[in-house]
Amino acid sequence: MIRLRNLTKTYDGRRILRGIDLKVEAGEFLFLTGASGAGKSTLLKLLYAAEKPSEGVVWVAGQRVDQMSRNQLAMLRRKIGVIFQDFKLLRHKTVLENVTFVLRFHGLGSREAHRRAYQVLKRLGLHHRQSALPEVLSGGEQQRVAIARALAYQPRLILADEPTGNLDADLAGELLSLLCDINYQGATIIVATHDHALLEAMPARTLVLNQGRIEYDGSWPP
Amino acid sequence: MTAHALEEALALLRRRGAISAVLALSLVVPMSLAGFTISLGLWARPLVALERQTTVVRVLLHPRMDTVQRQDWLAEQVRLHPGWRLTEVRQEALKERLKLWFPYLEDLLEGENPVELPTLVEVEAEDHEEVSALTKGPAVIAVGPTSSVDQILGLIARRLGWLLGGISIVLLASASLLAATWIHLEVYRHADEITIMRLVGATEGAIRSPFLIAALIPGICAGVGASVGAWYLVHSVGSLVESMGLTPPAYPTWLPAAEIAVGMILPVAAAIVTMARHAKLEEAE
Repeated sequence: MIRLRNLTKTYDGRRILRGIDLKVEAGEFLFLTGASGAGKSTLLKLLYAAEKPSEGVVWVAGQRVDQMSRNQLAMLRRKIGVIFQDFKLLRHKTVLENVTFVLRFHGLGSREAHRRAYQVLKRLGLHHRQSALPEVLSGGEQQRVAIARALAYQPRLILADEPTGNLDADLAGELLSLLCDINYQGATIIVATHDHALLEAMPARTLVLNQGRIEYDGSWPP
Repeated sequence: MTAHALEEALALLRRRGAISAVLALSLVVPMSLAGFTISLGLWARPLVALERQTTVVRVLLHPRMDTVQRQDWLAEQVRLHPGWRLTEVRQEALKERLKLWFPYLEDLLEGENPVELPTLVEVEAEDHEEVSALTKGPAVIAVGPTSSVDQILGLIARRLGWLLGGISIVLLASASLLAATWIHLEVYRHADEITIMRLVGATEGAIRSPFLIAALIPGICAGVGASVGAWYLVHSVGSLVESMGLTPPAYPTWLPAAEIAVGMILPVAAAIVTMARHAKLEEAE
């Protein structure tokens, strides 16, 4: 599903990622962990092509990401569900609209998009806030809307950047359980987190990044 | 996808209803004036043709020329200027014509002592400047007036046409600039949303089409408004012109369609350019 070869990312002469080589098979569950600034979010951004690599190559779903046109990228991103650390919700749209608008340009009709969005929101316990604008929601609720949007179109790959950062322990547990279910159905999942409780709650391949390098690749705890 | 784009465009317009209405109104004013100037230009066009009419220039030949010399001179002019028509004024009409075209000769013509009258030749030519040049030769002593009222009217109409055309272009350019500024502000106001849409898999078409439709709708309204505005102006000025006993300018039947087409094209073209620039800038970042 994912292959990285000698991946390097530099910002203003500072190396954030250094020569990363990685292979993630389809259907795998992977945790990315490491201290703040280790390069977790940057690695995810390179996977969904929000950033371009300074050196090296990124393949996602058999396609070389750094050589894609805008529309090819759009098609690739439709296979990826991204849970952003800063939520990236559309502030003029309600909770339901934030989820449906993604489904609409995935080709679903208005009624079907609303039905599916409502189902996902219900699963995440947010259906009663469907008409609210993001600005009136708490951080945890906004995070769940972002999660609902990423899961609504049943992507083959889910990239989650600190998805439990604003959730209490119970909700974090529920989210992890949801991600496990989706992984069990065949989706590949990569979760970037520095929450050790999350790593301990779920036995999965874990990648530890330190100063832009892979320090450890194996099961948790090391 | 089209239904979604339309829904998004309407949502965009609802959120910015007042600004969209101001844009439509701002487009109506220059487009109405442009339509009005086009109508006036079309009204003045037949007059422009007057300027290109052939002119009859009267040429006074030297009185000392005998018949043979005169015939030779006429034959030579015909040979040199095949487009000219030369007619020698008959003796019975000569005195009257001389008085009309060369009034400064009146004292001489009305004097007590009879004088030998010079030969008057009427030259019909397209370019009166060429006829005027005959005075450089020894055979011609004077050339009469070289332009007519019709030609002056034609010249004025042509200059008016250029002026009105220029005004129309300036007005339409200002309308385009206005539309471009509006779209530019809208795109940059929604820059975060556009970035998010790209990140979650929206194609460029899905991102741009709501803005294009949102620009198209005020454009169509402006086109309809401009048609009505131009009709009103043409009608008002027409009444005034008619009261002066002149043919009033007509409102061309194709003008509403042209106004609506321009109303659609200007903001949409501005939106396409602005969105392409925004996409390039974002890519560069």
